[in-house]
This record gives sequence, C-alpha cells and structure tokens, in this order.
Amino acid sequence: MILYIDTSSNYLYTGIVENGKLKKGIKKEYGHDLSQVALPEIASMFEDTGITPRDINKIIVVNGPGSFTGIRIGITIAKVYAWSLKVDITTITSLEAMATSSKKDKVRVPIIDARRGYCYAAIYDNNDQEILKPSYITYEELKEKLKDKEYKIISNDQDKLQITNNDIEAYDPNIVEIVEKFKDKPSVNPHGVNPDYLKLTEAEESKK
Amino acid sequence: MQEKKDMYILGIESSCDETSASIVKNGTEEISTVISSQIDIHKDFGGVVPEIASRHHVKNITMVLEECLTQANMTMDDIDAIAITYGPGLIGSLLIGLEAAKTLAFLYKKPLIPVHHIAGHIYANSLVRPLKFPLLALVVSGGHTELIEMTDHYKFQKLGGTLDDAIGECFDKVARVIGLEYPGGPKLDKLAQIGKHTYKLPIPLHDDSYNFSFSGLKSAVINLAHNEEQRGRELNKEDLATSFQTVAVESLISKTRKAIKEKNIKYLIVAGGVAANKSLRREIEKLGEETNIEVSIPPMKYCTDNATMIAAAGYYAYLDGRKADLTLNSTSSAVLK
Repeated sequence: MILYIDTSSNYLYTGIVENGKLKKGIKKEYGHDLSQVALPEIASMFEDTGITPRDINKIIVVNGPGSFTGIRIGITIAKVYAWSLKVDITTITSLEAMATSSKKDKVRVPIIDARRGYCYAAIYDNNDQEILKPSYITYEELKEKLKDKEYKIISNDQDKLQITNNDIEAYDPNIVEIVEKFKDKPSVNPHGVNPDYLKLTEAEESKK
Repeated sequence: MQEKKDMYILGIESSCDETSASIVKNGTEEISTVISSQIDIHKDFGGVVPEIASRHHVKNITMVLEECLTQANMTMDDIDAIAITYGPGLIGSLLIGLEAAKTLAFLYKKPLIPVHHIAGHIYANSLVRPLKFPLLALVVSGGHTELIEMTDHYKFQKLGGTLDDAIGECFDKVARVIGLEYPGGPKLDKLAQIGKHTYKLPIPLHDDSYNFSFSGLKSAVINLAHNEEQRGRELNKEDLATSFQTVAVESLISKTRKAIKEKNIKYLIVAGGVAANKSLRREIEKLGEETNIEVSIPPMKYCTDNATMIAAAGYYAYLDGRKADLTLNSTSSAVLK
C-alpha cells in the first residue's frame, strides 16, 4: 500500500493506493492554513478506510519545486513517517507529477510560475523522455527551448504565465497514474529526504 | 493507593535557529537532549535568515529525533506524550517541529501538548530545582524581554514586556556597531567587564510600568559612535560596552525590583539566553539579597533554546489539562496564557 503526498502548491494532494486502485484520495485547496489542514486530512484517510499507518509499505512524496513552506510541510510529514515506522520512501518532483497526469500525445511542459519573469518548468516528449529537467528558468529561456516544437502546457498558474500557447491544460493530478509510474523508484534514506527548491534563498543569492 | 506512573515526554523545539529534541521524565529529570545549532551558518549573514533556518530544520529534524531516542535508549513506544513549541518564533522554523510532532502524535496515538516558548524558558528552572510561588520570571533573550508573574504552575500573568527590540537583539546590534561578529552579545559582555562607564546614555523607559524599551538606547549608541567618528575621535570600545551594558541591565533590574515589591514575590527566576550575561547575573544576585528573596538562574545549557525546557514545561502543561489535536498550528506571536 502506497501513501502519496504533494503539498507543493496551494492544493493538498494526497492518497492511498493499493494494487493500482485508489483506496482514498484528497484534493483540497487551502488558504494559508496548510499546516492546520495537511495532517488532519491525511489522518482522515486512514480513519475512513480503516487502514493503519503501519499498513503503508511506501511513501511517495513531492519534493518540489513550488511553495517553499508547502514543500517543507509535506516533506517533514513524509520523512518523519518513513523514519519512525521504517517505511520505504522516495521523492518525485511536482513537475514530474504534473506531466504524468497528462496524456502523452504531445510534448508536455509543466509550468509553475515563480514570479519576476521566472518559472519552474520541465519538458517531456511523447515517449516520456526528459528534454529539460526540472529547472528554475526565465520564461524567455523556456520559450527559446520550445521554439519550433508543438507542445502543451500543464499549469494551474494560467493567469500568471508569461508564455502563450493554444494548448494549455489545468493540472488535475491522477494519483493512481503517478503512484503506478513511480512505485518502483528506488527508496532513499529518510534522513536524506529534503526539498529540492531549485532556487537559493534571496540572502544566499545576494551574497554570490 | 495506585502507584503514580513515571511520565516520559518527548519535547521538540524549532522556533529559531536550533533544532532540538529532548526526553524529560516527570518534568524534572533530563534523560537525553540533542541540539543542532545553526549559528555558524547564520554568522555569514550577520543574523538569522528565516528561510535558511527553515531549510536546515527540515534537513535535521529526523536525525535530531533519532539521536535523542538513541541516547535515551528508548523507542517512540516508551514515550507518553509529545510536547511542541507552537510559538512564538519564526513561523517557517516553528512549522517543521510542529509537523514532526503532529506526525509522531498521529502515528503513535500519543497526546500532543502545545508549549509556549516562554513557558519553556521559565520551566527550564524546574530541571534544576522545584519552582516556588508566587514567582517572578524575567525572560531575556534574542526574541524576548518579559516580566511574568506566576501564582501557581501554569498560571501566567504577563506584567510587562518590551515595546520594541528584545534585549538580546539590542545587544547584538550594539555589538555590531562596536565591530563584533554575530552573535555579538556574549563578546560585548566580555568587553564590558574590562571597560568603565564613561559614556552618557539614556536610561530606557524610566517610568511606572513594567515595560521595557531598547530601541532608543540602541539608537543612542549608534549616534554616539557616529558622532565620535565625525569628530575624528576614536571610540573606546570597552568603555562603550560597559556604559551600554550598565544602562541596559539597570533598566531590567529596576523594573524587576518594582515587580518584586509590588507583587510580594518570593522567588525570582531569570531565563533565556541573556541570563548568561555576567553583569545581569551579578545584579540579579544583588537584587535577591536586597529584597531577601530566593533567586534561580539556570545553567547556561538551559538558557539558550533547547527542547529540554519544552519537555519540562510540557509535563506541567499536561497536568494542567492542556492538549492539542492535529489541527494545532504554529504562530509567530503567541500570547503566554
């Protein structure tokens, strides 16, 4: 049984998947109260299904990019869970999750707006090959990389994107699809599970 | 009569730049404590950078918890409850400890006890000797300057606090003016033991309240240093340190004295990182003799931020019936109640 946790955006996406079936899933938008919502919602999935925390064999957690605080909340829950109950754990990026939830009929470009002309983005082709790894780049650079390509954008920041395309779809995670794709990704030591912000803090940036 | 069972509380603290976990038995006996400090990381930036602090907390949290349990030779199943600092502090930092505590409370079905950071500083004293009431606590640290009266366990009444900068913050800023590296407070204290009180500085908030104010004093030091430089006179760092520290400590002492007399206090405790300050310790001891009351200043290891004090306070909070559920949130400006 696999527990999926993604708190990298202003949505909480979590679910418990067993043998390719969703036992329980939650997709919930929150305001500034993720820390109030996340664990009670996760706990409610266990309560509603009668599954106990020890029934989980693996945790798949999104380690970013996205909201710094959001990622840390999901990662903290997941690493403490995995460490204390000795459960396998692996991380995936939010951009991989976004691409996986969309049909592989075209080049897929998941994008999260990062303000000031920047975004977090990746590029995957129809065969699921990674053309651009998850990156913190300017929209201009991204446009350059997409030149002459036919592609679709997957994003929930549509009103903020500084890139236009006639094929833009909203991100609605297919938790079963994501879990099935990454369930055999090798596990890592829970102590080493950390956010991958793809971006230094402003203090570090200005010191460079 | 049924024998009272020992209670082991796991405390977690992450309100600023220390990730800490500790197990304390019955609120008084330290079993194990682990503190991962980020001082060396933040030194390069001249102070704590909140986003960097949060990043390190999440990196360290499970290693700190594991080391704490290993040192105690215990497992989570041996723990009776989990005490967590919910505020005040840096919100991004607090959240890491909070999520860890809530996750453990959920996984192991343990009671979750919310602890105010200042209550922790006060209860650091109960690790040394039992608290006696009515008690007055002078809490002095990088984030806090408060006078708190307690009539019994977990009955807090805030008499006053700083209206602007915390005392420790003021020490660090003045230290920077003198050219001392962050955290400059302790280095400033060292210089102050050598110099003389020669510079004239204003006594902060010399009024009838129990409040403090240190921003005016800080500005006075900055202006003084600036004026001396303009006149081409060399600043006597030792004398400036002594002059500043004398005035700052006098402000703390005079308000504490006032509270002892007016509130009929029997027991005075000093808590927080600035309790390490030599001049303050000396003046507090003197104040105890003058007013004929017992004084307690905990050892240094309990004065700076640590989870031992949170686990100790958590025990008394638990006895007071304080429990939280998984919706518990962190807050940067929690009021001590």
